[in-house]
Amino acid sequence: MGFYIVQTVMGIIGSLGFAVLFGVIDRKLFWIAAGSGIGWAVYLLCAARGYGMFMGLFGASLFVGLLSEILARILKTPVILMLVPMLIPEIPGGDLYYTMHDLVQGHYVEFGNSSNQVLMEAAAIALGIILASYVAKFVRSIRIHVLKHSLW
Amino acid sequence: MINNKTCKMDANQMNRYLSAIMDLGELLLMHGAEVNRVEDTITRLCSAYGFIRSDVFTITSSIIASAMLPDGSTLTQTRRIKERDTDLGKVEMVNGLSRKICGAPVTEEELLREIQKIRQGRTVSWPVKLGMYMLISASLSVFFGGGTWDGIASAISGAVLFGTLCVSSGLKLNSIVQSMVCSGVTALAVSFLVKIGIGIHPDKIMIGNIMLVIPGIQLTNSLRDMINGDMISGLLNMSEALLKAIAVAMGFAIILIFGGV
Repeated sequence: MGFYIVQTVMGIIGSLGFAVLFGVIDRKLFWIAAGSGIGWAVYLLCAARGYGMFMGLFGASLFVGLLSEILARILKTPVILMLVPMLIPEIPGGDLYYTMHDLVQGHYVEFGNSSNQVLMEAAAIALGIILASYVAKFVRSIRIHVLKHSLW
Repeated sequence: MINNKTCKMDANQMNRYLSAIMDLGELLLMHGAEVNRVEDTITRLCSAYGFIRSDVFTITSSIIASAMLPDGSTLTQTRRIKERDTDLGKVEMVNGLSRKICGAPVTEEELLREIQKIRQGRTVSWPVKLGMYMLISASLSVFFGGGTWDGIASAISGAVLFGTLCVSSGLKLNSIVQSMVCSGVTALAVSFLVKIGIGIHPDKIMIGNIMLVIPGIQLTNSLRDMINGDMISGLLNMSEALLKAIAVAMGFAIILIFGGV
């Protein structure tokens, strides 16, 4: 449990660092910190419930994607400005390293497993981002449609 | 304040307006906005300045915009984007300016002044960048399971990474070669640090550094481009990001092979 708290805090610090590096220096930092922390907590929760890595990362990135779409509307700011820093803890840097390491060391069986794992993780995150972005688009077009046809 | 209906449509002046609008689009694309946002902004600004039709086509390295004046003549301008660096603060400033203009168009002098202000506006200074590189590497190294000393070693090698990035960006290297060289130097620094006793797990230290060079924003942008229907830009961005990721892995791998970490 203690490690998970440290991990979440470190994830938040990493997200804030990336946000500042990308030129975000104002009250949005607070929302970014909150979003990235809750996003990683969603992953940990899914993992603890036994949903597995794919569903966990998918759930976390879907949550972060939707949250950043909502926050961007409220704060009147581009979505990527919120989304990219918040998504930092989900990026599978560790498994990417181990894939490369296995390949270099000539452990081909492990390389197969770890490259498979990285591809799955990347697919889960991509699916989450795409779905969140699509939901936002869908809601927007429904709203425009309703406004257009609400004359009756 | 200008009024679209009564303003005399002078082709020269409209050309200058289109040029200023293209400047804004260029700023957006250069500093990491999605293609969809660039096209949307240019279209909106064109209609705010009284063009009756505008067709914009944008890919990751170029903008082409053709706008029609009320008298039926068209103006076309293109921009080629050679260098890109992520500065979302500037994207946000351009976004704010375009919101303001769509509410009420500003005069040419004011528009040019605002663009100049954004160009020279607040950028992240290098000591802050250095600090963030160290902070990010240290925190993410601990995030992926490293100890305190691994975090400290990762901060030092993050500083080395930043220094290499600064030096190599002065040499105007290809961005893919640059990622490879920088990750190689960083891996060398990590193996040296482990050898002199700072940090225990070289893998955890290197993961903290790898997170800095993974092109996360490009991958995210490419996915969002593709879902918006901009397939060309999405594929271009994604292939560049993948090549960069492979280059980073190769940079680390070369040192792992010869250094035996």
